[in-house]
Amino acid sequence: MPNPEISRRGLLAGTAAIGATLAFADLAHAASPSGILTVGVQANLLTLDPANANDTLSQGAARLMLEGLLGFDKDMKQIPLLAEKYDANEAATEFTFHLRQGVKFHDGTPFDAEAVKFNFERIANPANRLKRQSLLAMLDHVEVIDAHTAKCVLKNPFGAFVPTIAHPSLQLLSPAAIKKYGDQIGRHPVGTGPFVFTSWTPDTLKVTANPDYWQKGLPHVKQVVLRSNPEAGARIAMLQSGEAQFVNPVPAPMVQLVANNPKTAMLEAPSIFANYMAMNVMKKPFDDVRVRQALNHAVDQKAFAKIVYSGHATPLLSAEPPHVTFYKEQPAYAYDPAKAKALLAEAGHKDGFSAVLWGGNSTETIQAMQFLQQQFAAVGVKVDVRPLEGGVLASKIWTVQKPEDSELEMYYGRWSSSTGDADWALRPLFATSAFPPHLYNVGYYSNPDVDKALQGGLETADPAKRQAFYEDAQARIYKDAAWVFLGIGNTLAGRDKKLSDAWVLPDGGLLIDAAKLG
Amino acid sequence: MFAFILRRVGGMIPVLFCVSLFAFGFVRLLPGDPARLLAGPDATQQDVQIVRESLGLDKPLWQQYVRYMTQTAQGELGKSARTDEPVATVIGERFMPTFWLTLVAMVWATILGVVIGVISGVRRGKWQDQTGMVLAVSGISFPAFWLGLLLIDLFSVRLHWLPTGGNETWRGYILPGFTLGVAVAAVMARFTRSAFVEVASEDYVRTARMKGLPERRVVWTHTLRNALIPVITMTGLQFGFLLGGSIVIETVFAWPGLGRLLVDSVNYRDYPVIQAEILLFSFEFVLINLGVDVLYAIVNPEIRLR
Repeated sequence: MPNPEISRRGLLAGTAAIGATLAFADLAHAASPSGILTVGVQANLLTLDPANANDTLSQGAARLMLEGLLGFDKDMKQIPLLAEKYDANEAATEFTFHLRQGVKFHDGTPFDAEAVKFNFERIANPANRLKRQSLLAMLDHVEVIDAHTAKCVLKNPFGAFVPTIAHPSLQLLSPAAIKKYGDQIGRHPVGTGPFVFTSWTPDTLKVTANPDYWQKGLPHVKQVVLRSNPEAGARIAMLQSGEAQFVNPVPAPMVQLVANNPKTAMLEAPSIFANYMAMNVMKKPFDDVRVRQALNHAVDQKAFAKIVYSGHATPLLSAEPPHVTFYKEQPAYAYDPAKAKALLAEAGHKDGFSAVLWGGNSTETIQAMQFLQQQFAAVGVKVDVRPLEGGVLASKIWTVQKPEDSELEMYYGRWSSSTGDADWALRPLFATSAFPPHLYNVGYYSNPDVDKALQGGLETADPAKRQAFYEDAQARIYKDAAWVFLGIGNTLAGRDKKLSDAWVLPDGGLLIDAAKLG
Repeated sequence: MFAFILRRVGGMIPVLFCVSLFAFGFVRLLPGDPARLLAGPDATQQDVQIVRESLGLDKPLWQQYVRYMTQTAQGELGKSARTDEPVATVIGERFMPTFWLTLVAMVWATILGVVIGVISGVRRGKWQDQTGMVLAVSGISFPAFWLGLLLIDLFSVRLHWLPTGGNETWRGYILPGFTLGVAVAAVMARFTRSAFVEVASEDYVRTARMKGLPERRVVWTHTLRNALIPVITMTGLQFGFLLGGSIVIETVFAWPGLGRLLVDSVNYRDYPVIQAEILLFSFEFVLINLGVDVLYAIVNPEIRLR
């Protein structure tokens, strides 16, 4: 890991000896959470009911107050939270969670197996119309074995169930509060986490330290304020003026501004956002693997990182980024325009061809598309760049009913696996069952062997077997050049040097529950 | 005058009815499936279907329209599709910050604009006029986001006098209020000047001077009062525009106002919120026009309201 510091939670899960010393240090400190931590973020929160949230910002904010059975550390490795351990049956249809004892929700409701059952079955029930219903669509029911043991019984095998449970959308709310507030629970979150909800006006969320938090010694700060500030320059001014101690994100061109200030520092780590260019393999000339490989050879990944991310990116060397589970690096398509031209000539495109490239209309996306345009021009491929507004993109790409109706030729986009698991990194983009409008395989890539591997990974909960399946899938996808593989941007946040243990997860979400000031 | 106001308020109802019809049609003309956009970037088809049903977008258009009109007629604006909050709350929370900011900007900008305009008008062609008009042209052409960022850099980052944004204290109103008012002050100055110059050549102004009235009274009472009619119209228009919220100012100063809300709602095709905002803006304009008409009569008693 690039960062040598050990996360607070990592330590808790660590060896007993270190844990004991630390617990002692924490007890000495425990008496007084102090200080106000103000965080400047880009967008507005949408809801604090994570089961109804599809943005990482809202999920990260909810993480201050709520907890899941499992959670993530700062590198998105799973850690136990409200469940101390779990076990699964061989067929990946039953998962039993052994729950932490003596934990209470902020309203006094005890946290137990009944609460797990209530939360999960609420999300799984389509009648409740929660935006994240699909995360638990495979759940048949939750069995309460005893007060501290809950067994999730699935309708069909789902090997990625454990990573799914770590997803921030499955953080638990107090059943009593859900009953009390109904569909307005997203405005009145009640969880088990280190902070208690105080207030939320359009731009500002305030939470206060939970004195009865089960992890002794946490939290360190008395209050956290999340303020949305959409303009990057003004957000960085918040940090420079001392109004905020943490800002996320910092746009790549502004990194120096934060790094050069004696009072502030950058926090940079690889994300799990894969930047790619998909090609419609049902259309000529992209049905020819040589053409797709040629385009991969035509792109200089280092230049992509430099131009689009001001250097704050790494090359993408598989169909998923390294921080996703079961990652396997593939032999790179070396930057070689001559080889690209030769491959194109071999495929019958000696004089190149023309194609249309679609993508979103953010500055960064347009820059990336123009970069591709220039790279491809060097091997004789003329690209017409078309930035599209979100709604237009949706109707032209995501909601196309039949593959043959798709007008898409090339598409620039990015993807992150919100569970941090290989299944959600690969299946939505490369499985035959993921053609739009079902999921996001916009290039209509279809390879029966890949389908078999992706299905295999779902039908077992054994990590060794899953590893083999996903490595196989990654190798095939890369060899087929289903995408032009581009790069992985870094997460970029700015912090006051007095602040420690505040993180941005590789998915861009905030992890600030253990943050310390001074 | 009271009867006049009452009649005009009554006349608003058909206007607002037409606007609500227009708003309903307009949002549905935007390309893109709102359920798809609201469900988020990695939603499954099943998630999208859930969103569609919960918004009632799976129903035929006429049913959606009947439901919308019945609700609107009862003053019920529905729930935001993006956050599940009642639309009245969503807009209510952002209306007051926008309103107060608009008021702050309008008050200082109108006073300053009128004063500069009158001085420029009186000293036509002299250095005072030229300075005033250079200021006015600069005020109009200065990009607000740039001015805003400069002010933040100076007053928040370097001097630590004022917050970079947000509306939590009264100090938060100073920078955005100033930035928002600059363009208004400039427009008002130019407008006042030309109206003033026009009126200054009227017979009654000459008469006033010939009567031997002091110049001060000629300028501020006789001339300005008559020059105010177009200025009031302009003030009303500017007020109406600013009440719609300013996306630029609200973005730079992290202001929880209506402008950003509208842009966010359009990006996500949050139909209920867009519809309600359109309705609100129209209502504001109708109300301001009425206020302007009443002011005409106060400033110039020759104008009778019927």
